[in-house]
Amino acid sequence: MIFKLKLSSKFFYFGKATFLLILSVVFFFAPANAQRSFSKNYPAASDVRLQLLNRSGTVTVEGWNRPEVNVSAYLEAPAAIISPQTIGGTININLVKDNHGRGEVGNVNFRIRIPYTSSVDIETRMGNLIVTNIRGGLVRAHISSEGDITLTNIGAAAVSAQNGIGDIFYDGEIQPDGNYRFASVRGNINLRIPFSSSFRLVATAPSTRNISLGSFANTNMSFLGDGRRVVGRFGSGGATLSVTNQRGGISFISR
Amino acid sequence: MNCKECQATISDFLDCGLDEAKSAVVRQHLAVCAGCAKVCEDFAAIVDSCRTDIPSDALPPNSRALWCRINNIIESEVKPADAVPPGRRWNFSFSQTFAALACVAILSSLLTIVGIRNYFEPSADDFITRSAASQTTFEKILSKVGLSDTPQQARERRLREQSLAIEYWNRRVQLRKGQWESKIRDAFDRNLHEIDQAVNEYQDILQRDPQDDLSGEMLDSALSDKMNLLREFADL
Repeated sequence: MIFKLKLSSKFFYFGKATFLLILSVVFFFAPANAQRSFSKNYPAASDVRLQLLNRSGTVTVEGWNRPEVNVSAYLEAPAAIISPQTIGGTININLVKDNHGRGEVGNVNFRIRIPYTSSVDIETRMGNLIVTNIRGGLVRAHISSEGDITLTNIGAAAVSAQNGIGDIFYDGEIQPDGNYRFASVRGNINLRIPFSSSFRLVATAPSTRNISLGSFANTNMSFLGDGRRVVGRFGSGGATLSVTNQRGGISFISR
Repeated sequence: MNCKECQATISDFLDCGLDEAKSAVVRQHLAVCAGCAKVCEDFAAIVDSCRTDIPSDALPPNSRALWCRINNIIESEVKPADAVPPGRRWNFSFSQTFAALACVAILSSLLTIVGIRNYFEPSADDFITRSAASQTTFEKILSKVGLSDTPQQARERRLREQSLAIEYWNRRVQLRKGQWESKIRDAFDRNLHEIDQAVNEYQDILQRDPQDDLSGEMLDSALSDKMNLLREFADL
């Protein structure tokens, strides 16, 4: 009995030592493979283009009045690999490619600040996308599955926002001759635009038939297909506005 | 002298235009021929009346106005003939003829292009999303004789193609899905389920009403969304 106790205590001490050894090795090598945070500045022209493809996590892009780009990322374990590339006037970050073949990769939450006249093209497989204060040529936000898209104070001539399950909120201008496209599978699409805008509209909500034009309703707007689609013109109809929500509603709000 | 010769010279005889010998011969014939004498008397009366003054009452009330009217009528009849003289030929130089031919060629080419576009080109971007009403005449003829698809047939063909693409990407996803984190897998499944519900909804509507173009268009859009979802997650 005493022998047995001695043997088990020996085994316990041996196991504890092994565990501590493994733990120390993990802590020693972990910083080499996993990033907890990432921050980098790039000098940039006013018309720089940001192209980002994330796997999961929230991406926030803010326009600022500086000729540089600041990329900050907060990585959850297991940390993803980030290797931004600058090619010409484009900053390219592709986490799907950089982490291809890896099983588990934690969320990466980006905060990127770029000149407000830049073009922004961001995409994620899952997570929220937030873009503010951008007046460049293009703003594109695409979520493959779930997540909300929030675009505020946007003055771009080409805007595209698309997600699966989640809301889309746009608060910005409608440029003459601009092209605006919003599409969701399920969620609410809310568009807050100036009353002085002029656009041709095709808005489709086939499942809910919930299309609220608010103060943009006029005699040039026609409800088609038992209220599943609204087609018409507001003002002189310079811009093109296409809104599709497969299983949700669409609302227009005047700024 | 016979009667014919006498009457032919009466006018000159009265005007004293014949020599003495001839005048004597005419006088002899008039003395023996009552017919020629009568003709000579008539001629003489006409000559006398012409030589006397024209009386004022013989003139029309406003001879100047009458002459103007006559003149206008004559001019109106003559002018068209002057404007387009019969047998007139258009004389063009080589450069003018070439320019005219070039204009005709350009105009006919433009008309042909417009005609072809109207006949062949669809009015909407995508044939699948178009109704029978929006088909061009040429498309209707082709589909009637079986050389072209109707919008419904085109939609079914497009759905078959999309289904094949979806199957391909789905196989790719199934190979990798086991390696994904649970939160990504759950999000993917929820989205796929949502799209499938929309697809089923549109298919039900189209079974009841195959002419519902809006549902056809939305079905196409939902299947594209499904294909994109599968393709984008196949990269993970």
